[in-house]
Amino acid sequence: MSTFDIDKFIMHVEASDQQVRDYAADPTAFVAQWEERGLASRVPVADGGSLTANERRTLEERDYAELYRLGAHPYVLWHFVEAVFVWAGDVPWPEMNERFREAVAPLGYPDFST
Amino acid sequence: MPDDFKRTSENFATFRAALRETRPDVLVVLGSDHLRMFSYENSPAFCIGKAPQYVCTYENEARTFGLDEWEVAGDTELAGWLLGGHELAGGFDFAMSNEWLLDHSFSIPLVYLTDLDIPVVPIHANANIPPIPPAQRFADLGAYLAAAIAAAPSDQRVALIATGHLATEIGGPRQFLGGDPLDQEFDEQAVAWMRDGDLEGAISGCSFKRLLAAGNVTSQFLNFIAALAAAGGRPASFAEATASRYAPGPFFRWDL
Repeated sequence: MSTFDIDKFIMHVEASDQQVRDYAADPTAFVAQWEERGLASRVPVADGGSLTANERRTLEERDYAELYRLGAHPYVLWHFVEAVFVWAGDVPWPEMNERFREAVAPLGYPDFST
Repeated sequence: MPDDFKRTSENFATFRAALRETRPDVLVVLGSDHLRMFSYENSPAFCIGKAPQYVCTYENEARTFGLDEWEVAGDTELAGWLLGGHELAGGFDFAMSNEWLLDHSFSIPLVYLTDLDIPVVPIHANANIPPIPPAQRFADLGAYLAAAIAAAPSDQRVALIATGHLATEIGGPRQFLGGDPLDQEFDEQAVAWMRDGDLEGAISGCSFKRLLAAGNVTSQFLNFIAALAAAGGRPASFAEATASRYAPGPFFRWDL
């Protein structure tokens, strides 16, 4: 794995208001809890966990450009970003829209097929 | 209301009146779930809903789009007929769902075009998770639906509603450009295919590569190829790309 797990994670966060709030408040704790609860797929990555070190860091740091580069589904990713940074955060929507476009523009269109 | 929504609103009103005039007993709604019901865990190419009742919507869609919760009745009899009874019909390996929380692919047309008082048969066509069925397959689906509905044992009046996009991007470098067309050439071609009844042109012009070049969610346009095929390839009675601040809205209608 684990583009599948990245999508699974960001969909899990974005699915409910409470999860968006909890993740936005403490991403590191949320990621750890998600893995502890066994919500990731059961296919371990090379280092033994469900996420690689880079994937875990990316989710903990809310690094949406890297998530995009890794192949997160773009539709899901944008709604995750919108929920975390705009709805639960303090970034105005037009600014977030611009920030996102600029961040992913150099990355083109990564493959997000299954 | 902002000016750019005025025309969209007018079109919905016209389509709503046209639909009502046909007095449909049941609506077959072809849409593409946005990784809400069908995601990477299980992504059927085509799925027919056979539930007696459908609920809308998701918590995140209420948050994102301001959609209310509502329910609508399902038509299990027609759904079963379209599936083929005990053997799958029409050369389609349809998936089937007895419990399906509808996303905005289905709720937007139902809310804007009806009073949620007409039973539905939702059909999901995967246009969002590659690999997706090619354009020809959508045309085959439309042709199959038209033939199966015409041959249905009941004398119900059935309307087919398809939903999707013109050139649109969400979650990419060209998203929400404030109304500037993402790919005007594609939009103009798309309207022409529908207006002229050019099914072959639509099929050959909608490879995954071409659709992606027009925007990363443009592939939902494929549902309109199914609609065109269901209409026997006839020219649409109305075909318009309606400008808006987000993306042009596709409005195609066949008064058969």
